[in-house]
Amino acid sequence: MNPIWMALVAIIPIAAGAVTAAFAMRKISVTALDGMTRQPEIAPQLFTAMLIGMALVEALAIYTLVVTLVIAGKIVV
Amino acid sequence: MLGGDLWAIDTTGWLVIVNALIASAVLVALGRFLARGRLTSGVPEGRQVVGEFAADFFIRKARGMSEGHDRARVVGTVTPFLGTFFFFILLCNLFVLVPIPVVNRPPTSFFSATLALALCAVFGNLIVAARFKGPGGAIKHLFWPNPLQWVSEVTDVLSLSLRLFGNIGGEYMTIVLVTAAVPVGIPLILHVLGLIPSFVQAFVFTLLTASFLAGAIHHEERKKKERRHWFGRRRSEPAVQS
Repeated sequence: MNPIWMALVAIIPIAAGAVTAAFAMRKISVTALDGMTRQPEIAPQLFTAMLIGMALVEALAIYTLVVTLVIAGKIVV
Repeated sequence: MLGGDLWAIDTTGWLVIVNALIASAVLVALGRFLARGRLTSGVPEGRQVVGEFAADFFIRKARGMSEGHDRARVVGTVTPFLGTFFFFILLCNLFVLVPIPVVNRPPTSFFSATLALALCAVFGNLIVAARFKGPGGAIKHLFWPNPLQWVSEVTDVLSLSLRLFGNIGGEYMTIVLVTAAVPVGIPLILHVLGLIPSFVQAFVFTLLTASFLAGAIHHEERKKKERRHWFGRRRSEPAVQS
């Protein structure tokens, strides 16, 4: 297969994954910050919950990264 | 080249094994050093303060999941389990900072190492659950509320290992590529920024293991009581005035 097509196939998923994960992370961090500023006394609990949520979202982006790495490893110029 | 190299399950494997062994040796030496000397149950001082500070978070986590069990036993089992994961992964991630050319590759940037860690986490969870609920209870947890519950354990292995590998391997790859392009100055900034994911990924791995473990050793009786509590309250609620 043409390496340029392979590169496109590798690049498009990682771009889409990064964009969607960025939006989800924005939502998570903004709501967590809202909660923390309104109730500073539960900030540590909110922080750990935020980290778990971020990790779960991040996993999806990481899956696209892994797929991209697999495809990128097959590109032969 | 780089992508395939990072992703491959490393068959020669000496680097990952040597680095992991160095990390565990440092960890054991550190633990021995912190626990040396006279330990007191009163007001601690010196090294004991550092050790207790390090263990405190995991002890609190373990206390949170000890409902319905013998608290001291749960704390004694779960705290070392979680603490080992956290400090081992943290030390492994910090290997990028070692200023020696070949050694400075974190073992967690190999998929084989993270897969091994995730398998340890999930099977360790099963074993700890078997310790508190008996082997039958632990196996029942794999099939009971939902007969396909075991699928989630498999995906836990995948997601834990891939998350750690993706973050640390990606960070390592970025540093290598940027260093090849600009050898002076910029890598320093990248290393400083890389401290954040190193810490956060170790923390997240431990937190997720802890939450899976809490689900695995959760006591059935308590669940039943909770259900009764909620349904009872709902039935006895006053009718809505219209």
